[in-house]
Amino acid sequence: MRLEALSRLVRLSLARERKGAFFSAFGVAMGVGALVFFVGLGLGVGRVIREKIFPTDSRLVDVVPPAVSLGSLLGGGKLDAAAVERLAALPGVEATYRKMGIRVPAVTRYDGSFFGARLRMGMEVLAVGVDPGLVRSDVAMGEFKDAGDGQPIPALVSTRLLELYNKTFAPARKLPQLSANMLVGFGFPVEFNRSYVAATAPGPVTAAQAQVVGASDRAMFAGITIPLETAIRLNRASGVDADTFTGVTLVASDPARVPALMEAAKAMGFEIDDQERRLAENAGAAVALTTSALALLSVLICLLAAVNIAHAMSASVRARAREIGVMQAVGASRSDVRNIVLAEAGVVGAFGGAVGTAVALLLALLVDRFASGYLPSFPFKPESFFSFPWPVVVGGVVLGLVAALCGAYFPSRRAAATDPARTLAG
Amino acid sequence: MIRARDVVKEYEDGDGARVRVLDDMSLDVEDGDFVAVVGPSGSGKSTLLHLLGGLDIHYRGDVEVGGVKLSGLGDQALARFRNSHVGFVFQSFHLIPNLSALENVLLPSHFGAGTGDARKRAEALLERVGLKEKKDRAPVRLSGGERQRVAIARALFGGPRLLLCDEPTGNLDAATGAGVIRLFQELHQEGLTVLAVTHEDRMSAAARRVLRLKEGRLVEESSPSAPVASQGAP
Ligand SMILES: Nc1ncnc2c1ncn2[C@@H]1O[C@H](COP(=O)(O)OP(=O)(O)OP(=O)(O)O)[C@@H](O)[C@H]1O
Ligand SMILES: [Mg+2]
Repeated sequence: MRLEALSRLVRLSLARERKGAFFSAFGVAMGVGALVFFVGLGLGVGRVIREKIFPTDSRLVDVVPPAVSLGSLLGGGKLDAAAVERLAALPGVEATYRKMGIRVPAVTRYDGSFFGARLRMGMEVLAVGVDPGLVRSDVAMGEFKDAGDGQPIPALVSTRLLELYNKTFAPARKLPQLSANMLVGFGFPVEFNRSYVAATAPGPVTAAQAQVVGASDRAMFAGITIPLETAIRLNRASGVDADTFTGVTLVASDPARVPALMEAAKAMGFEIDDQERRLAENAGAAVALTTSALALLSVLICLLAAVNIAHAMSASVRARAREIGVMQAVGASRSDVRNIVLAEAGVVGAFGGAVGTAVALLLALLVDRFASGYLPSFPFKPESFFSFPWPVVVGGVVLGLVAALCGAYFPSRRAAATDPARTLAG
Repeated sequence: MIRARDVVKEYEDGDGARVRVLDDMSLDVEDGDFVAVVGPSGSGKSTLLHLLGGLDIHYRGDVEVGGVKLSGLGDQALARFRNSHVGFVFQSFHLIPNLSALENVLLPSHFGAGTGDARKRAEALLERVGLKEKKDRAPVRLSGGERQRVAIARALFGGPRLLLCDEPTGNLDAATGAGVIRLFQELHQEGLTVLAVTHEDRMSAAARRVLRLKEGRLVEESSPSAPVASQGAP
């Protein structure tokens, strides 16, 4: 039977059973639409978590000295240059980036204009020095290196801190919204080895000017991130430990090697700071779980739609027994009859799947519109809560098709088994 | 044209017992013949037609139609046979209600029949049965006789050499029936082989041979009453 003939017969019978076909397609559209919508939502929220809230790079391993340093008594667990070299020599390590916290308190006292507003504040500052390679791509101004005594200190701020500032702090204090670009070049004074709240080291106070050179995912959340050499110099000037590092970030050559690297670092007496990764994983898992539950529900709807199609098709096949007999008498084979029924269901299913997918996409668009127009701004509020990679879109249509074909399977076999001699007699 | 040998056909009745409808039945029909089959209700006339037309394959014995041996044909081959070797005409027409007359005639084309311009061919057939003007009408808007003519045009679409008719005038009044019978006679004169199950005397009178189905076998009826049949005969 030619495709053209098949499509003509299918069109004819669908035109006649318009109402039934519509309800069948509606059921499929409900199931597929719900599935596409929820999967898109899950993927979208997952993406926000991955890219904005906990942007973890799957190849990075943060090695830190043990919190309670039994190791130091035994001569291990100290993250000094030698230890870094040993870590760098581990198989699968592509690069190492050292970090050293400023080990004395620091404060900033700011009194001046702040992007059009007037700002007066004094606040404790935390700072960490990192190997420039770790953040190089986020530096928007000058070179990220120690410029020496008396020179401005290049500082990176955390993109997440910036987000929190914009969404919660700035509105509450009526301060201007800031973008990373606006901040670049902004300078503020920092006094190292001075504190409002804590004891300071015996060394002198070092006053310096910090200058924002960019925002980075990898920058310290509550504080500023400065070149490692600067941190070493400042610690040394204050007379505190300037030889051991507060952490080393290992870059694995492949995400698959990360677990082995973690094990090796632990075996060397260090700990792994995987708080971020854990948080990301937990949040991701929660989203995945919710998405799965909703997806399961949607699949159930699809299943119901298939059952509904099975029901409608067997009723229609029964009602058309004589017509099927006539077609057999004029030359329809059993497989022709089966194909006609399957094609009818297939058209209904693909149509329902396409409509359901389209409605889901439209609904997602409306939700995003609503969110951007009516929901108040909140930290990490994304442009879109949804993500619809093409397999999801195509999958929606295919699922509709498959559900309908499954539903039509038995009715089509029953139709093919029609005994023309019986239906045509009389 | 038709050669059937020792055909046995049984049905199971409701209680699981077997009822023999055709019992060692044999039949020979010449090319271009016009045969009427008569017999009481329930004697197996429709059953016989279905066997000859490849609609029923559950029987014992051999059936050969137009040089095609039906027993042992697969589903596809049987469908092709029904599509282009035989045409069926039923008592209750069996037109598809939501298709126009023309589309009903075109139905066999969907399953392979009719190379070339199927539409033109269907229109020519409708003209042949005298329904050129009504080709776009739905079956409900045709009279009984007209419906049966559409059904005959449909049966002719695949270019069969054999027409199998199951009481084709059974649902028609006498005058209309006579018109349909005349059409069969014309088709027969054009060379078509016609085998018609009938209760109607005029139909059997029009036929060249009358067979009676009796106790599962076909027996030749003594000379058909000639007067009506001689109308178009030489
Ligand atoms: N599918 C079937 N299952 C069981 N018995 C059947 C079936 N079809 C026909 N029969 C039986 O076979 C016998 C012959 O039936 P058939 O329809 O061939 O008779 P017929 O000669 O065409 O009768 P009528 O003149 O009333 O149309 C009947 O007794 C009928 O009850
Ligand atoms: Mg009958």
